[in-house]
Amino acid sequence: MSGAAAPAAPAPGTITGAAAPLRSRRLTTWGLAAPLGLAYAGFFVAPLLMLFAVSFYADERMTRWGLDQWQRFLLDSFHWKVVADTLLLGLKSVAATTLLGFPLALLYRGASPRWQRALLFVAVMPLLTSVVVRTFAWIVILGREGVVNQLVLGLGLAAEPLRLLQTELGLVIALTQIEMPLLLLPLLSVMARIDPRLLDASASLGASPWRTLFRVTLPLAAPGLAAGCLLVFASSTTAFISQSVIGGGRLVYLPAMIWQQAMVVANWPFAATAAIALLVSVSAVIAVIAYAGRVAAGHAHG
Amino acid sequence: MSLAFPRRALLAGAAALAAPSAMLRAARAQKGGSLVATTYPGIWDDSFREIVAPAALKTKGVEVEFQALFAVDQIAKFAASRGAPPFDAFVLDPGPRITAIERGMFEPFDGGKLTTLTKLPPQLVDQWGAGCAAQVVGIAYNPKKVPKPGGWDDLLKEPWVSRLGLTGFGTTFGTVSLIELAKVFGGGETNVEPALAELKKVLPKIAAVGTPAAMPGLFQQGQCDVMYTNTQTVMALKDRGVDIEFATPRTGAVAFFTTLHIAKGSENAEAAYKYIDTVLSAPVQQALTKPPANLVPVNKDIALSPNLPMKSLDEMSGFVTHDWAKINPLRGQWIERFNREMAK
Repeated sequence: MSGAAAPAAPAPGTITGAAAPLRSRRLTTWGLAAPLGLAYAGFFVAPLLMLFAVSFYADERMTRWGLDQWQRFLLDSFHWKVVADTLLLGLKSVAATTLLGFPLALLYRGASPRWQRALLFVAVMPLLTSVVVRTFAWIVILGREGVVNQLVLGLGLAAEPLRLLQTELGLVIALTQIEMPLLLLPLLSVMARIDPRLLDASASLGASPWRTLFRVTLPLAAPGLAAGCLLVFASSTTAFISQSVIGGGRLVYLPAMIWQQAMVVANWPFAATAAIALLVSVSAVIAVIAYAGRVAAGHAHG
Repeated sequence: MSLAFPRRALLAGAAALAAPSAMLRAARAQKGGSLVATTYPGIWDDSFREIVAPAALKTKGVEVEFQALFAVDQIAKFAASRGAPPFDAFVLDPGPRITAIERGMFEPFDGGKLTTLTKLPPQLVDQWGAGCAAQVVGIAYNPKKVPKPGGWDDLLKEPWVSRLGLTGFGTTFGTVSLIELAKVFGGGETNVEPALAELKKVLPKIAAVGTPAAMPGLFQQGQCDVMYTNTQTVMALKDRGVDIEFATPRTGAVAFFTTLHIAKGSENAEAAYKYIDTVLSAPVQQALTKPPANLVPVNKDIALSPNLPMKSLDEMSGFVTHDWAKINPLRGQWIERFNREMAK
């Protein structure tokens, strides 16, 4: 993602006669991109602007303009706690997927092509089942009479079934598995491109394996890692189904609040306000992650 | 309607999207009776497609196409497409029904057009629509895990409280159950605070707090062994081999009706009457009474299931009912209060 900008085309005018084909090439590119661009403008940007406008209706019947919904959202500490919990859930998922996923990526880098294919398949496999199926499978695993509790009770490790379902721990465990492919896919593709001679060079210059990992491998993998973290963060903070089914009613996150306001209470302006709060807060964290990725990558190349 | 203009302006795009399908429907309507009716997702959807649609075609020559939407989604979708109704008939619970009446979403209903009128309890047909099924709400429990609870307040005592599954004001059954719980502690139809206060005291012991749709699954997985729900859910779980029984609280089970309505501006009103008549006819009501639909019939010719807490529809007049015109304006705040009080 970051640092992925294509190398700039040769500056116009440097080679005589290159300007005309260049311009027509640019026109073609614009033409080819137009269908998706227009679809985005019509079906994403326009509704987003409408969403923004709706949040400035004062009442739920949408008859007057006003800042009432924003006041109601911002002046209430409960809503700030929901925002913080939502972002924290995202950060915990990012931390868990990174801690478990990065070692796998290191293994992948050193593996033979055959093993690489096998690992890639394993990494992608969860994407091939529906998120609903994955979520319900976690109910069966984490439930009071689920696989984990049967094992724990059977081994006599606890007298009472553990509470895993409807806790944040259970939710983070489930999200770690559900979101793992989003971290691994960009990370593995960057890892595979790291020149092995750089690692040999680091070793021959006397760096320990850990030093090589932190000073060479990690900065080189940073763009992929940042892209993966960004996807995991965005996806887990907005994972409405997993949050409500595994987290339950006592863990309140923004997506469930938006759904409730829009669909049950039918207060669209407040739902729009909460939706924009989610968009802004998630984008802010994503910008930080992307910036960190760029800095780390610049460090490696610079 | 005061809300018509800005909503219409904002949602013109949404309405434009609905236009082609409306034209398609209009073209088909010229050939004969046809309509789009809503049904609830899940068991309702399955049984209405399997039982009602063929019966309407066979007995009335009406072609019914179903859209599976929860009551609140029907209201939202209708509001989003003013002027071009996205469907011709609603199926609603009492709360959303009142919202729809207040917002002028129904055509006036003429019960005289129903051939089944004489078979229905008179209070079920009014100027807005007709009841098509009764719902009875009470306590469901797992007889192998906990003793039979006697009343709503038992839910907050051991051994039930540590096996209790809770759901908020998001659904009709959740709302009426929490109101009944509030009544035991001095609250009422417009005051649920006592229920929330009592729940808060025992909150750490409660086994699960979930979304309404998640409750049957949580019960089936043994995450909770007692919950409030309707008889339909109890029978559906029983059919799947789950240990579950229905208990009538000592203050009485709650009863309400699911109703059918004709959407304002529908061009297929005549077909909609025929469709509603079909749903209320004895053969269809009989079929809907059986598993997996397990609906409580409203046609007086149909015998009630022995699993229900009453022998006849007349007995239901003794059940607890609620005034949704009073509840609706408060429900939004209650939903939020529940979120706050239950949040960790």
